[in-house]
Amino acid sequence: MNQEVGSDMKRTHGHAVLLRKSSSSKMALKEKIVQIYEAFFQGEDPSVGNPNFWDELFLLKPNIPYIEGEFDKVSGEGLMMLKDNLNTLFYKAVESVKEDNTIKVVNAINTMSALVRGIFRKNFGDFGFDIINILIGFDAAETVMQELVENLNQILNGEHPTALKQHVLKFIMVLATASDNISQNTLLEYLMINSLFESIVQILGNVNLRLMLGTDAVQVLTLLVQYRKYESANPYIVKLSILDDELALTGYAQVVLGALSDFNREYLCRSTEAQAGWFSTLANMVGNMFVPDEKQVSAVRANDLVLLALYEAIHLNRNFITALTHTHTPSTPTTPPSSPTVPVSNPLNDPAPALQKLNQALLEQSSHPTNLLVTFLEYSSIVMQDTKDETRHSNAKLCLVILTCIAEDQYANSLMHDVNINFRVTLHRMPMRHRKVKVEKDTPSRPLVCALLDLVVEFTMSHMMKSFPLELYNRCLGITQRVLCYQKKCRVRLQYPWKELWTALINLLKYLLSNESNLLKKHNNIFHLSSKIVNIFNLFITYGDTFLPNPNSYDELYYEIIRMHQVFDNLYSMALRYTTNDGESKESAARLTNHLVNIKLVLHHVQSLTNHLVNIKAIINHFSPKVDSWAAANQLSSLTEEQVLDVVRANYDSLTLKLQDSLDQYERYSEKPRENAFFTNLVRSVVMDVRKSVSNLSQSHHQVLQSVAEM
Amino acid sequence: MTTNSSYNAAHFERSLSTSVVDHTTSKFLSEDGRKDQNGNEASSKECVTDQSGQEQSVKEISCQLRNGHAENGVNFSEKIAALKVESNGLSTVSEEERREKKKGGLMGKPPLPKTKQNAGAGKQSWLLRLFESKMFDMSIAISYLFNSKEPGVQTYLGNRLFSFPEEEVDFYLPQLLNMYIHMHDVAEAIHPYIVYRCRQSVEFSLQTAWILSAFSADVLKPNWKNSQGIKLKNMILNEELRPKIDKKAGNLPSPTQPSAFYPLLATTPSKKTHCRSKSDATGIYTKMAHSQTTGNLQKSNTGDLSSGRAFDSGCICVQSSEGIVNDLTGKETVCHCGAPRLKPEVEFVNALMNIGTRLQQLPTKELRTSRLIAELAMLNLNLPARVWLPFDTNSHHHIVRIPHTQAIVLNSKEKAPYLLYVEVLEVENVYSSHVPSKRLDNTLRFTKSEEDLTTCYVRSNGSPHPEFSIYGGTEFDDAECWSQEDDEILQFAVKTRAVDTLSQFSVDSTTSADSKEPVYIAAGDIRKRLSEHFTAPKSNFERDPDDPSAAALKEPWEEKVKRIRDASPYGQLPNWKLLSVIIKCGDDLRQELLVYQVLKILKSIWTQEHVPLWIEPYHILVTSNMSGMIEPVDNTVSIHQIKKHSKKSLKEYFIQEFGDVNSEGFLTAQRNFVQSCAGYCLVCYLMQVKDRHNGNILLDSAGHIIHIDFGFILSTSPGKNLGFENSPFKLTHEFAEVMGGLESDMFEYFKILILQGLVASRKHMDKIIPIVEIMQTGSGLPCFGNGVNTIRQLKERFHLNLTEEQLQLYVDQLVESSLNSLTTSLYDKFQYFTNGIL
Repeated sequence: MNQEVGSDMKRTHGHAVLLRKSSSSKMALKEKIVQIYEAFFQGEDPSVGNPNFWDELFLLKPNIPYIEGEFDKVSGEGLMMLKDNLNTLFYKAVESVKEDNTIKVVNAINTMSALVRGIFRKNFGDFGFDIINILIGFDAAETVMQELVENLNQILNGEHPTALKQHVLKFIMVLATASDNISQNTLLEYLMINSLFESIVQILGNVNLRLMLGTDAVQVLTLLVQYRKYESANPYIVKLSILDDELALTGYAQVVLGALSDFNREYLCRSTEAQAGWFSTLANMVGNMFVPDEKQVSAVRANDLVLLALYEAIHLNRNFITALTHTHTPSTPTTPPSSPTVPVSNPLNDPAPALQKLNQALLEQSSHPTNLLVTFLEYSSIVMQDTKDETRHSNAKLCLVILTCIAEDQYANSLMHDVNINFRVTLHRMPMRHRKVKVEKDTPSRPLVCALLDLVVEFTMSHMMKSFPLELYNRCLGITQRVLCYQKKCRVRLQYPWKELWTALINLLKYLLSNESNLLKKHNNIFHLSSKIVNIFNLFITYGDTFLPNPNSYDELYYEIIRMHQVFDNLYSMALRYTTNDGESKESAARLTNHLVNIKLVLHHVQSLTNHLVNIKAIINHFSPKVDSWAAANQLSSLTEEQVLDVVRANYDSLTLKLQDSLDQYERYSEKPRENAFFTNLVRSVVMDVRKSVSNLSQSHHQVLQSVAEM
Repeated sequence: MTTNSSYNAAHFERSLSTSVVDHTTSKFLSEDGRKDQNGNEASSKECVTDQSGQEQSVKEISCQLRNGHAENGVNFSEKIAALKVESNGLSTVSEEERREKKKGGLMGKPPLPKTKQNAGAGKQSWLLRLFESKMFDMSIAISYLFNSKEPGVQTYLGNRLFSFPEEEVDFYLPQLLNMYIHMHDVAEAIHPYIVYRCRQSVEFSLQTAWILSAFSADVLKPNWKNSQGIKLKNMILNEELRPKIDKKAGNLPSPTQPSAFYPLLATTPSKKTHCRSKSDATGIYTKMAHSQTTGNLQKSNTGDLSSGRAFDSGCICVQSSEGIVNDLTGKETVCHCGAPRLKPEVEFVNALMNIGTRLQQLPTKELRTSRLIAELAMLNLNLPARVWLPFDTNSHHHIVRIPHTQAIVLNSKEKAPYLLYVEVLEVENVYSSHVPSKRLDNTLRFTKSEEDLTTCYVRSNGSPHPEFSIYGGTEFDDAECWSQEDDEILQFAVKTRAVDTLSQFSVDSTTSADSKEPVYIAAGDIRKRLSEHFTAPKSNFERDPDDPSAAALKEPWEEKVKRIRDASPYGQLPNWKLLSVIIKCGDDLRQELLVYQVLKILKSIWTQEHVPLWIEPYHILVTSNMSGMIEPVDNTVSIHQIKKHSKKSLKEYFIQEFGDVNSEGFLTAQRNFVQSCAGYCLVCYLMQVKDRHNGNILLDSAGHIIHIDFGFILSTSPGKNLGFENSPFKLTHEFAEVMGGLESDMFEYFKILILQGLVASRKHMDKIIPIVEIMQTGSGLPCFGNGVNTIRQLKERFHLNLTEEQLQLYVDQLVESSLNSLTTSLYDKFQYFTNGIL
């Protein structure tokens, strides 16, 4: 069809110069459009003498690779020479965007994206205004870009085919990802002045549009939010933070939920496949030895932008918390069957009932309402399984950062603790040598915070490894502390098996102690971590009356401490070693850490650790002899739990505890100074990914034309 | 579709208006059918025909009246006067006459006109005197409407409806409409009134449509005689009955050509003549500092829950500049944009019912609960809207929010009724007041931090230049702008929790940091406080996932309102109110409605006769024969739940709740218990209420018992009418124990109350019987399974023939047999074993 138009054009207004050139040339036939481009890049103005030229140019399908190729050929100075031509071409393209003719609009957009991409390939010394000058021209830039954004908004808001809207969103992504460092992309400055925000919000609030465009809209918004987020008042940040359109927020959440649950489902399919039988498991293992499971990594990576979107929404917008827990009624199964291990547990069974079971599980699951937080917790449990790889580590970190933000928000906490809001959350556990994967078919519906705590416990138990993820541990403990502080302040008595948490924490301490030297080589901060752990125990000891579910659990806490007193004893003596011992030890600690600056910090932590341990020491010193003497009096060599608990109950009164300082204080999460580097890197990799994904606009070009034809 | 239905409607109205004339001819075609249903119908018609001289004038006056009232009922008295003149010729009915007529009709002999007229004149003046007396009320009106077969009388009564207060008529709406459905002649008589009211009031239209759809469900084969109900319902739901706006006095047609005009009324060109498109409308929306998805892409979304505007009729009159002017000047804005009037409310009720249907498919209570909360959250997206809970007493409000986490699934095995709390804002006029704009759940957004942001943003937005403020015109400090107002949040959170009995352990660790002195605490104290918290007596039941309603219902209503109000973003508004409703889906509530009416009447009789019996009629709304709403009684828990959760006997529970046996609290509660118990015993006896297990008997916070669930009354009982419970009413020894034992004064008082109640009810029996009797007509309700006997037995239970002494003996006997009834305890055991009801 395009060619027809082209030939038509040739016939009626044939451009003399071009015709002659091509006919005289011995090369293969060139597309009409290519000839026009050639003229442009040679500094000629093909529109001279042809009043209809611009009307017709965008009827031709642009050759994107050719334009981009031409840019590669031209030198920096050469480009400056072409400035006028490029300015005109760009300006005409902007003008064409408001045309009614969809073909023209699409072609104009594609031409612009080719120009943008082409020019950004040139590595200008400063990513400054040269690009804008060459592409649009300084004088005109403001008005041209304003017009462009207006035109784009018009398409996004108006009655246009969805495919065209999608194309526009892709084009914005091309703009946003033009340079590696999004903050150096001066083009975006104009998108800051002329806002696209309202259009995006409108798409998210509309169910029909959201289905098709939601993902792109959220991605565009997330990218735009990243622009100079640490230096300036990015209006998208401001607007996103005060957005209170419930429909749009819910839409936003739905988009994220969709992406995350796709991931969860994919993971599940893979793991069910992998566990289909011992043979295939073996085959898979062998296969995996040689081919690192790239697929999984890529799947995880693909979610960076979605996670970032979730992070921004939670971090910036407090209304989003409502959307986070806004229950989503599944009309179609959005989450996979809950039990991936059903086929494994009974490999001898007929496959039919297993399948039936699976279907039933699927059915049951599908009737279970879910929400973004539920899906996100499941997602986190998958991502956290393996943190060795750097990308996955950062993914897990981002998950924990998001969870920290959630745990810090009081409103989110009130929702998570609400006994009326119960959900089943499927948490995936990594199979490990010393434990089998539990078959969790019937996870009961519980308040969401239970799942969060389970996740923390699971992480704690499964990451005591050589490459010790200290930072992630710190975050996990931070989350626990935040949740406990909320419970303490609001006197929420959560029905939760706290014992699991205590055991996990004590095990972690044990691990830290036994790998002390190793860990100190890499991290200088295990004291800080231990002190955090002890701090959590102190919260339970001193404030247990405000949030423990029943008196027995307080006894159990004491029981656990007494039972594992050796761990605490060792921790105490280790701390003492670093403080009271001769200077040598201190210096050895310093040498180990190799950071002179941090010595003080370490010492500080060690000191606070010993302080924090006071109560636990007191408990141990108080009860241990009593337990022993009771055992001696009753002539028993070992006592049962019940017996110890009796002793504990009988001897509370004589024990005095010291109230610790700022047990319920924590440093608020703030992105700005501390996490800048992390997010800058993350955004950089996200930009690269997105750029790759929108590199081929001509594909969506085809779709747009098709959908227009259908209209 | 629309043209078709409007054609039907037009046709229908025409047939009504001309039917007076048609009778003479149609009579012969339908004689058999008529006789079947109305016995003497045919012959009475013949009387009219015979009075040929007057026939024309009757017809004329009736037409005149009909038209007049379809327009407005203002000049009613004039017409009554006209009717009086005319009524000389009306022949009316009396017992003997009717019998005579029947005979005549059956034998096919036309009665002698001469004697008729003579007899008629005498009777008629007597009847007219009754109709004009002060005694005459709705109750008499409907019973004559039902019993009289005389078109003149019927027409007269149909017109008299205009003179009654609307509430009074509304009370008898089920009866009126049931007659409308099943009795063609009554339909003719009352049609003008109903159409008139429908045009006037959305509320009435909805009620009418719902009741019509519920009661015409039994009409199996619609034919010309009984399809009028369905036709009327369709007319209402197709929004054909709108108020006429362009009505001017001069436009009234002359009464001489009524049939030419009348059909036009039905086809009033109400639709889409003046409907602005949505995209025009969006420009008019006043957006007040509230970002909102502008709807310029959205077509009519009414009914689509995911659109966020499911209950938006698209009416723009209130938002328009005219509406705002009217609002400021205190005038009422009348919608004239042609937007559907009923649709939002119909969609809202449908949405609630659909949730119920979906819940039924889920197997466990846990699943149902979470699903319910999810569905309501979805619904919430579409609120606030111009919708209301359609109970006649309190419908002047807009629903702004459903606190979805508070909703509970009630105990039922197959059906999934659920209880819903609804936050509303009371308004003066539901149709013209502004619907408040959306506020988000997180009330804490409306604190300082947001204002900071807004001003911050507005400032930066103010300058349009690129260098404006992007580079720090305003200090954009993440930490400050985003800092959460933690204290407020926590205050809020702490406030919303019930105050613990725990002694406040207020030593915050920060204060200890200030004082520098180490603070010591005894571990024993911590442990003690913890266990004290658990041994402290609890006024509320523990939350039980298998019986979520118990804990929710035990919470005192006042506390619940306060809690929800504190948490609601609308809670600050002065006109905020919390309502509750039970949505029943898959259950036929028509019997419940009947019992509600009887209870209402009984209650008013007892008040009138100064008998201190206590009953609590709770509102029932029937939306179809398979669904409806029930107004929950505040502060009630079922006796089953009490026994299960408190693990005490009823008397022990009374002592726990109200105080020692001799305390004032206990005595008041005991008196309440006795009075309500007597009231309900009498109700149970008169209406033969069955299925009286403890799950169906509630106890309120003042000690009253309240019976619920009237699924088995009159001639139907559970277990295929095997007669499990053959005692007159449920009176267990446990109840007697609360009263103070069989020998106590209170028990004597109880018996006296029953006697007094029965005597009073007997006196006003003729107010009760017609209500029930009319509903039997054409009814497929199981409670009328015994046919005519049902009513006869009901009448017998009033024991008109007994003297008061005999009656007293009879009451003693009733109480005695109820107390000693084996079947009562048997039935309780049966319920325990099958349904776990204590």
